[in-house]
Amino acid sequence: MRHAPYHPARPMDGSAPEASEVPAVEARGLSKRYADHSAVEDLSFAIYPGEVVGLLGPNGAGKTTTMRMLTGYLPPTEGSIAIAGFDIFEDPIEARRRVGYLPESPPVYPEMRVEGYLRFVATLRDVPRRSRREAVAKAIARCGLEAVRRRAIGSLSRGFRQRVGLAQAIVADPPVLVLDEPTVGLDPLQVREIRTLVTGLAKGGATRGPTVLLSTHILREVEALCQRVILIDRGRLALDAPIAEVTAGGRSLEDVFAEVTASDVEAERGR
Amino acid sequence: MRHVGALAGRELRSLFVSPVAWVVLALWSLLAGFFFLSQWMQFEADVLRLQQVGAFVELRALNLNDDLLVPFFGAMWVVLLFAIPGISMGLLASEKANRTEELLLTTPISISEIVLGKYLAGAAFASAMVAIVAFYPGLLFVYGDPEWGKTLSGLLGLWAVSLSYVAVGLFASSLTRNLLVAFFVSLGLLMSLLMLPLLAELGASGPAFSSGDAAAEILRWLSTAEHFERMAMGWIDTSDLFYFVAFPAVFLILARTSIESSRWR
Repeated sequence: MRHAPYHPARPMDGSAPEASEVPAVEARGLSKRYADHSAVEDLSFAIYPGEVVGLLGPNGAGKTTTMRMLTGYLPPTEGSIAIAGFDIFEDPIEARRRVGYLPESPPVYPEMRVEGYLRFVATLRDVPRRSRREAVAKAIARCGLEAVRRRAIGSLSRGFRQRVGLAQAIVADPPVLVLDEPTVGLDPLQVREIRTLVTGLAKGGATRGPTVLLSTHILREVEALCQRVILIDRGRLALDAPIAEVTAGGRSLEDVFAEVTASDVEAERGR
Repeated sequence: MRHVGALAGRELRSLFVSPVAWVVLALWSLLAGFFFLSQWMQFEADVLRLQQVGAFVELRALNLNDDLLVPFFGAMWVVLLFAIPGISMGLLASEKANRTEELLLTTPISISEIVLGKYLAGAAFASAMVAIVAFYPGLLFVYGDPEWGKTLSGLLGLWAVSLSYVAVGLFASSLTRNLLVAFFVSLGLLMSLLMLPLLAELGASGPAFSSGDAAAEILRWLSTAEHFERMAMGWIDTSDLFYFVAFPAVFLILARTSIESSRWR
């Protein structure tokens, strides 16, 4: 079953984005093919400023590949990507400037101290010299890293390293955040902390918070954090809809997930 | 280009946190001391021998530059062959092994900036190594009177060679995520570059190059050895200077291309 792609004209929990708005993230006909298989196939979606979207899918569905393409790390085989209207090919620097990215494993230098590392990332992300100290202090405070700011990252626990990864993604205050499985491998308490953190980020302060795209295979996480879900299965878009709509009529996200995956198994059998 | 300094600074700090940099520096200093001492003892023995046999013409021809410093610089050049790959192997390979490559390639910096930043860090380290070597001729100036020009030309040659080797090592490091592979690839590349004049001579006597010496001449020009030896002897030629600018530039461009292309695989 193939759902119609989400369109902002459709009402979404009362606060529909304006149709004229430039999408924060727009993917058009995205494909990534390797010699022997295809990781992502003809994927299109648009995410509007301020939305928190969950990218869902079974393991190996192409979530990480999709995120790597959106952040400009992997070039797609086909299709185009625009971040706030900047094409990731034609304007890679401007596009990347607007995306904070937490990869699958936090991209940290084990020998560096937390503070020095964040200052380094802030420099690469063009935070002006005079506000760099402040930006680093803010990211440290938001991610609860005050106690370890002078510790070498390699000596930190996995949960703290994940927080450093998150702090790195937000240090330059980008309008778009791409978080690849921000809670994977953490204990339940840490998971809760990271979730609180992401919710806090999305709400922002006085201004509208960043647009967030986060991938996970934990369905409860999506229900807790996101307004909208994009479900991909074996590289293809399977569902793109507001959570409220998906779970209307008492259906849980799990039912929908199982339904889409099951139908694929049947499709495979029918081939 | 404004990120180059930040990248180079981070790399240098990380180098000095790792034991590799200290091991290389320690071995380098030790070998520099050893080779200087052995060349100096050799020189003294020559002086004594020539005095005993009363060969005053030869004694007058003997001098600190040609008979002590040139062989000393030559020995350190051979050590560079092993020391530079040890330093350069991690420059890009460790970013891949660490998964921090994903950070660098998704921040608003260009690949040229990454390559230049890494190169500058390696070049700064190599310069420190050459500065350690410069200490020993300095000693000679305290106790004797070697020629300034010749000494500086030799040091300049050693420095130029070390900067070229860093570029080769950086390219090797861009090819793999494995530090050992990067080390041996750069060592292999540097060795092959040394072998070029040998190849030219073999070819010149064989049928392949029998018609013209042009190919042999080109091979010889491409080798670092010829250029370094001329500078060690005190000749500074624009052709050699051009070589030591073009040579690293070519390998930096190769490194840049290699990073660029690895993303498409």
